[in-house]
Amino acid sequence: MASVYYEFYRGSSVGMALTDALDELITEGTVTPQLAMKVLQQFDVSLANTIVRDVKAKAKVKGQLRTYRLCDDVWTFMIKDATVAVENEVIKSPRLKIVACKSGELATAGAHLPAEKH
Amino acid sequence: MSNKIVPSIYRAVIDDVMGSIKHEFEEYGVSEEVLQDLQRKWEDKVIASRVAEFDPPNPAPHFPSHSMPMMPQYAAVHNPYPPPPQVAQSQSSQQQVKTEPVDSRYMLNNANYTLPPLPGPKLNGVPPRPNLGGQTSVISFPSGPQPGRPTIPQVDGPSDDSDDSATPPPASYAPRASHPSLPQPQASSSAAPADSEAINSDLDDSDTEDEDLEDGAGANTDIVFCTYDKVARVKSKWKCILKDGMIHANGKDYLFSRCTGEFDWV
Repeated sequence: MASVYYEFYRGSSVGMALTDALDELITEGTVTPQLAMKVLQQFDVSLANTIVRDVKAKAKVKGQLRTYRLCDDVWTFMIKDATVAVENEVIKSPRLKIVACKSGELATAGAHLPAEKH
Repeated sequence: MSNKIVPSIYRAVIDDVMGSIKHEFEEYGVSEEVLQDLQRKWEDKVIASRVAEFDPPNPAPHFPSHSMPMMPQYAAVHNPYPPPPQVAQSQSSQQQVKTEPVDSRYMLNNANYTLPPLPGPKLNGVPPRPNLGGQTSVISFPSGPQPGRPTIPQVDGPSDDSDDSATPPPASYAPRASHPSLPQPQASSSAAPADSEAINSDLDDSDTEDEDLEDGAGANTDIVFCTYDKVARVKSKWKCILKDGMIHANGKDYLFSRCTGEFDWV
């Protein structure tokens, strides 16, 4: 289980759907923004845990790396003519963006390092 | 296979979230009706996004002609359904299906992390969310009561006016031809948007710029959200190990627990 929960999953289809639904309720006035934030935070936790727990699929990506970027421990790759093989499915994409945050264990380890310098 | 498991994963996530926020809703004094409303809206939007085959939560025929209960084969490549913009129109007759968010999301040429415009007078300029990579874009939202407001969302980047003028008068700007790093004038006339920009860094790599602009081209950009365990490079060969990811490609969602990437940087 990851102890650091990232918010970037909110940009996914299911995350955007939740954000849109919450925004509708906020506009209607039935839900406060603070409550909506709590829901999204819960979504981060639930989605991360569910993926870790229930998804076992392996994938492989190949392609031409157009650009790469590392900023604040977040890698962003732009892949041209990507071929993604997931389980038995192959997906081809002319342009694929990969956003990767540091994986959980590394993230928590990194968070502790600066404070423990002697 | 990982597209087939998507509905069950999403179902588990929705149930988990709903169960966990129940006591939050009680704490804030919000009724359970709102909770169910949220769940319903959420499910409707996820189903409307058509990223996988979903079983409609209610037995009521929301989608009489489209999704059938859990088809055994999800050929992601052979999509039996028309692309989203057409689907949105054909689904407009069905109630409770918000076609506008799907429609607008695919039509918008903005970063896909911004909010799509909502129908009717409900929305009052909700600010877009700056998210990954700092991509922000300004959308003009359609508002019902305001007359004369354009309903077409704004697009980032060079203005449309520049498309008409073939070669804007170069006299008022620094002559681009004299800059050593720029292509010859006859070649630059084809890059009309760049010429018409008053303030433009001559050092910008136009190649990267175009990619970045297309990159924020809305939900049709294929994207992978994941974490990385290791990213390594030998000469121009990049290898990475990715974990717990969600792929959105060709309008469908896929999930993986582990992914190896091999790229060639040119």
